[in-house]
Amino acid sequence: MSTSKSTFRLSFMLLLVLLTSILAACGSDSATTAPSGSTTTSNEPRTIKLWHYEGANSAMGIAWAESIKQFQAAHPGVTIQFEEKGFEQIRQTAGMVLNSNETPDILEYNKGNATAGLLSTQGLLTDLSAVATQRGWDTLLSSSLQTTARYDDKGVMGSGKWFGVPNYAEYVMVYYNKDMFAKANLQVPTTFAEFEAVMDAFVQQGITPLSVGGAEYPAQQIFYELVLSKANREFVNAFQLYQGDVDFRGPEFTYGAEKMAEWVSKGYISKDATGIKAEDMGVAFTNGTFPIMISGSWWYGRFSDEIKGFEWGTFLFPGNKLHPGSSGNIWAVPTNAQNKELVYDFIDITMSQDIQTLLGNSGGVPVNADVSKITNEKNKELIQNFDAISKADGLAFYPDWPAPGYYDVLVANVQELIDGTKTPSEMLDAIAIPYQEHRATLGK
Amino acid sequence: MTSLPLKSSYKKPHKAGIGRFFVLAALLIVLLVVLLPFAIVIINAFKTPEDYATYGPLSWPTEWSIAGIVEFWQRVDYSQKLLNSLLISASVAVIGVLLSLLNAFALGIGRIKGRIWLLILFMVANTLPQESLVYPLYYLSKEFDLYNTRFVVILIFSVIQSAFGTYLLSSVFSTFPKEMLEAAMLDGCNKLQLLFKIIVPVSRPTLAVLFTFFFIWTWNEFFLPLILLISNDRQTVPIAVGVLQGQRNMEATLSSASALLGILPCFIFFLIFQRTLTKGIAAGSVK
Repeated sequence: MSTSKSTFRLSFMLLLVLLTSILAACGSDSATTAPSGSTTTSNEPRTIKLWHYEGANSAMGIAWAESIKQFQAAHPGVTIQFEEKGFEQIRQTAGMVLNSNETPDILEYNKGNATAGLLSTQGLLTDLSAVATQRGWDTLLSSSLQTTARYDDKGVMGSGKWFGVPNYAEYVMVYYNKDMFAKANLQVPTTFAEFEAVMDAFVQQGITPLSVGGAEYPAQQIFYELVLSKANREFVNAFQLYQGDVDFRGPEFTYGAEKMAEWVSKGYISKDATGIKAEDMGVAFTNGTFPIMISGSWWYGRFSDEIKGFEWGTFLFPGNKLHPGSSGNIWAVPTNAQNKELVYDFIDITMSQDIQTLLGNSGGVPVNADVSKITNEKNKELIQNFDAISKADGLAFYPDWPAPGYYDVLVANVQELIDGTKTPSEMLDAIAIPYQEHRATLGK
Repeated sequence: MTSLPLKSSYKKPHKAGIGRFFVLAALLIVLLVVLLPFAIVIINAFKTPEDYATYGPLSWPTEWSIAGIVEFWQRVDYSQKLLNSLLISASVAVIGVLLSLLNAFALGIGRIKGRIWLLILFMVANTLPQESLVYPLYYLSKEFDLYNTRFVVILIFSVIQSAFGTYLLSSVFSTFPKEMLEAAMLDGCNKLQLLFKIIVPVSRPTLAVLFTFFFIWTWNEFFLPLILLISNDRQTVPIAVGVLQGQRNMEATLSSASALLGILPCFIFFLIFQRTLTKGIAAGSVK
């Protein structure tokens, strides 16, 4: 008994010693940081707090690290204090952080009505309209890219003041396994009919053509691609920006839902897809289980790194003028931020052509790159495809944007469409209700 | 004499043997089910991303690589996170146990008026979901200039944990043998001496259990530290693990590495205190 008592006492004392030493370390830590906060007004060294959530190896991570370097070279005496955050972390805490004096001076923030739009109505984001014109960001970004930068007084994107600056873009395309295409003696399809013929050919060989993650965003993006194949810009503006009425039993949605059900019945999409997560969809394509995957440009860099066993390529969804896609997330400047002029300089550097070219060379989709300086052929194809979409004003955003919580509604209903528990018309009625309800609350 | 134990030892274990076999088999299956996720985490933590992408999560690593672990450690400055977690959890465990002890002394031994109501109050406080506390805590910490400090997290969790501790210790203390207390008082003990010379030594196993639980519970807290700790250099281990969750992409091998590093300290702590834990549960409050 006495030995256990003494071990307990020993471990307890060890802990206490450890505690006091840590506390002492923290004490000295806070003592050194305290004065730097009070000297922001004088000419002494200044710091800018920057937050973003792109991985260090991602295209954006690489390009922005270089931007920080260039900025510090051009602004001696100013240091950028970068903190990598998690996406969830910023999403859950941004409203509270930006309302305190612990706010960063600039952060990457999720575009959209429920995120940047909401914060803008609460007065937590700086109005960047004047800066955007002064620095020429408004001419650099095409109108469909600007959609996510501007929010009206109700926080609805598409018009009004600038509250963010998108620095990259993303869009949905078709990834394909060149080796499997060659083995089956198939060409890259250029029309929708050819695309279906290619998938038929795979089905006949006993291969399910499409890798689909039905438990998350990918399935609804395929559904939206199919809807868009019959849609025009007015339809997109009505659906996404509430400019005009949306008929869920109209030709676009009806075609999309029926085609999706048909693709399942023809075996293009497996019914098992309803339980697959996006990550597993990507892994299944990477290891060559499926010849085709329809998803976003965010996979591009990863596939370049990780697909070793076969050649792969991409093409735009055949026959579509409109594609799911948008600007990437945006730079936002909190209202409580310090040194805003310096922050604008930093955004300017990230928009500059050589940083944008670096972003393109690293596998991202830049908004202002010099395509002639993109060295990697694959990346060039990615960027040229995007330029084609962007020039034709073909970004149709994502189907879950128009209403809060709509993502889960779409996941559930597209799942039920795939496994056959809902007919296309039942599914369309189910997704119409929350959408119309939200528009009613906006009075639009 | 010799045949009797032989007979019984022949018969009894045989009968119990079948039952034991099934119990053992069932336990083994449960153990496997419990350990499987950990095994997957460990396997994937040592894989390269290419390996994971080619062969999926369930395959054996083609080569054991610690690149993911090293990368995660450097990327989030894991040493700092460990220190923060250790500081916060250990402080909470110490302060929480002290608070519980003092409260329970008044409630369980002192039997102050209205103690039933106070205990119910602690119970209710204990069942409150943390999400409902977020906004009040956020505003209060901002008001007192404590937002984004480790101190406020220690303060809050000391109180939250001691709510449970008070409840538990009070009921333990209410069964404390009166004879012992009376004897001590007769010998001229004052109240402080009664607490620290009589009650604490006797109930040390229970206190050790509380200490261990408080430490592990606080270590694993995610939501409130996420809300209250803004700067990266003040954040705790579970938040660091959360940094890797991207918007659309998940780095599976890196996530596994971070999960492994996230579990490990708690596991080691548990191993160290495991003996006091079992002893505390087995032993009553009185020797």
